[in-house]
Amino acid sequence: MVKDVVAVRNLEVWFPVRRGFMESLTSKEQMWVKAVDGVTFNIKDREIFCLVGESGCGKTTTGKAILRLVEPTGGTVKYYGPGLSPKLIKEAAADAVSKRKMKKEMAEKDVREGGVEVRYLHKSTMKALRQKMQMIFQDPYESLNPKQSVYDIVAEPLVVNNLGANEAERESRVRKALDDAGLRPPKDFMWRYPHEVSGGQRQRVGIAGALVLEPAFLVADEPVSMLDVSIRSEILKLMLDLRDKKGLTYLFITHDLSVAYVFSDRIGIMYLGKIVELGPTEEVIKGPRHPYTKALISVVPKPDPRMKTDKIILKGERPDPAHIPPGCRFHPRCPFVMDVCRKKEPQPLYVSQEHWVSCWLESGVGPQ
Amino acid sequence: MTLLEVKDLKTYFKTQEGTLKAVDGIGFNLDKGQAMGLAGESGCGKTTAALSIMKLLPANGYIAGGSINFMGQDMSKVTGDKLRAIRWRDISIIFQGAMNALNPVKRVGDQITEPILLHENVDEEVAKKRVQELFSLVGINPNRIREYPHEFSGGMRQRVMIAMALACRPKLVIADEPTTALDVMIQAQILQLMKNLQTELDLAMIIISHDLSVLAETCDLLSIMYAGKIVERSSAVEVFANPQHPYTKGLIAAFPNIKGDRKMPASIAGNPPNLIRPPKGCRFSERCYMVQDVCKVSEPPLIEVLPGHFAACHFVQPKR
Repeated sequence: MVKDVVAVRNLEVWFPVRRGFMESLTSKEQMWVKAVDGVTFNIKDREIFCLVGESGCGKTTTGKAILRLVEPTGGTVKYYGPGLSPKLIKEAAADAVSKRKMKKEMAEKDVREGGVEVRYLHKSTMKALRQKMQMIFQDPYESLNPKQSVYDIVAEPLVVNNLGANEAERESRVRKALDDAGLRPPKDFMWRYPHEVSGGQRQRVGIAGALVLEPAFLVADEPVSMLDVSIRSEILKLMLDLRDKKGLTYLFITHDLSVAYVFSDRIGIMYLGKIVELGPTEEVIKGPRHPYTKALISVVPKPDPRMKTDKIILKGERPDPAHIPPGCRFHPRCPFVMDVCRKKEPQPLYVSQEHWVSCWLESGVGPQ
Repeated sequence: MTLLEVKDLKTYFKTQEGTLKAVDGIGFNLDKGQAMGLAGESGCGKTTAALSIMKLLPANGYIAGGSINFMGQDMSKVTGDKLRAIRWRDISIIFQGAMNALNPVKRVGDQITEPILLHENVDEEVAKKRVQELFSLVGINPNRIREYPHEFSGGMRQRVMIAMALACRPKLVIADEPTTALDVMIQAQILQLMKNLQTELDLAMIIISHDLSVLAETCDLLSIMYAGKIVERSSAVEVFANPQHPYTKGLIAAFPNIKGDRKMPASIAGNPPNLIRPPKGCRFSERCYMVQDVCKVSEPPLIEVLPGHFAACHFVQPKR
């Protein structure tokens, strides 16, 4: 069996809605923006797991919460991947227990399974571990500091983490990262500034900045959506290559189902803070079960005017995560809404070995 | 009826390093009620071409040659009041990035009334009523005209932009990357709206996008631009069914197709050339997979391969 690298269970990221002074006096109930509201999935070793959904569905927040770039407010995030020593695992478990954040049995289970609970890691441990868990950002036009040279941008993580004994060693690591990211020869790019390289090369600089720490797990947040279509697949191929050569595991976040289709191994479809359908890519795209998935697939523009397909265009826009509808959260936009959908939230139901869906329309093999 | 006839249009920019030939001799015709897509990578000159038609070029840009014949007037020569009378009344534009194109401190209704009051001899009441009609036309509740842009979501703001473009009942609407910043579902809503409006109001449209699939869904005609030139032009169906230019073939192959097999799409290696010093010969030669010596020396003319289907490549022959 392939080992998990990351396992997320019931992850919640709730942001409090600020209340006025009078409101807090009158003890009006605290409102929450439930950006991520109970998300469960695991990512296996060398797997590309893709989260797809409209903007505001919580996919980016999920990615950030795994790296603790935002703090989760509930659930667990386990990391089993490289970069953990038995000593670190034991210490992390003991630390979490001593701070009464985890029950002893749970901590012991982590130690047995060789993982750590990312949520309760001490700041310094997290910083060390983050070298193994890196992020590639969406917009290569905005995520690079225009006043830093490519060298400085890529070397910065080394400086922050106090890695590399001297400048020469740092330089060699930067060169290697640039080379790995396909910026060859590195010396041609090192001393340029972001405005002197093309869009695709900028994203390669962003990737090099993540690679320089030699990570094992990468969260890639819409890495190609700002790029021209003609160079997208180059970046995707680079990411595939890196997985094969360096054994990387990806959480790939995108709103573009057609990119997810060609690139990922498994897909999770997110709607308003929850995954509504999850399964192997081919199965989800060719045999979608949830009405939301079906609608999303139907509206992907086809690169051929001769292919006219029936589109399921959902009315309106996604509701506000501060006011999540009761019952199934998709019911106000669902073309097949029934009475039960308005009252009770559907639970995940397995429709095949690895493919589950949360929808009242389904009568799968049996509830999990 | 030909509404717009662009002939050998050249739009250059003065820069410190020299003259940048952003648009370098393009031509096309557009009839009333037709939608044309202008496709190409970023920096290929597609936006500049569209802005030239409306004469909205930045201070260092100028039309260096050619003509833009719009309803009997050469837009490249029109200036001053005459130009102002045409802009927005006959030609309007939906700008890229609906998020930033609206004035944040003015009510959306007032922003749309402005061109109506400027161009037409009507009072505010009539204009306001028109705005409400426009809002229902683009699918926004007419009661929202007193709201501010921040009260609208991205998709709704794009609808406001469309309503604004339609305010004076123009003959030609230019849409610059109308759905690029939007989600797939909202994109589908907006494209459907644009398509409906175009048929309903018999509008001519020029839709600019780097995304061929968006154009495939909305356009009758398609022009592919590369490095300031149109390299292929025909009906949209014909371009997709029978692409001639290697660049067009590359662009089409670069699309992942969700209905097709699960395989990584091809990419076009390399970058577009510098337009201050464009390469000699065919501008695509550096990235072309079938490049020969001739491509590096002489520039291929745009020839009619099949009736109404043009391509500029040394290796396409007219088929009869």
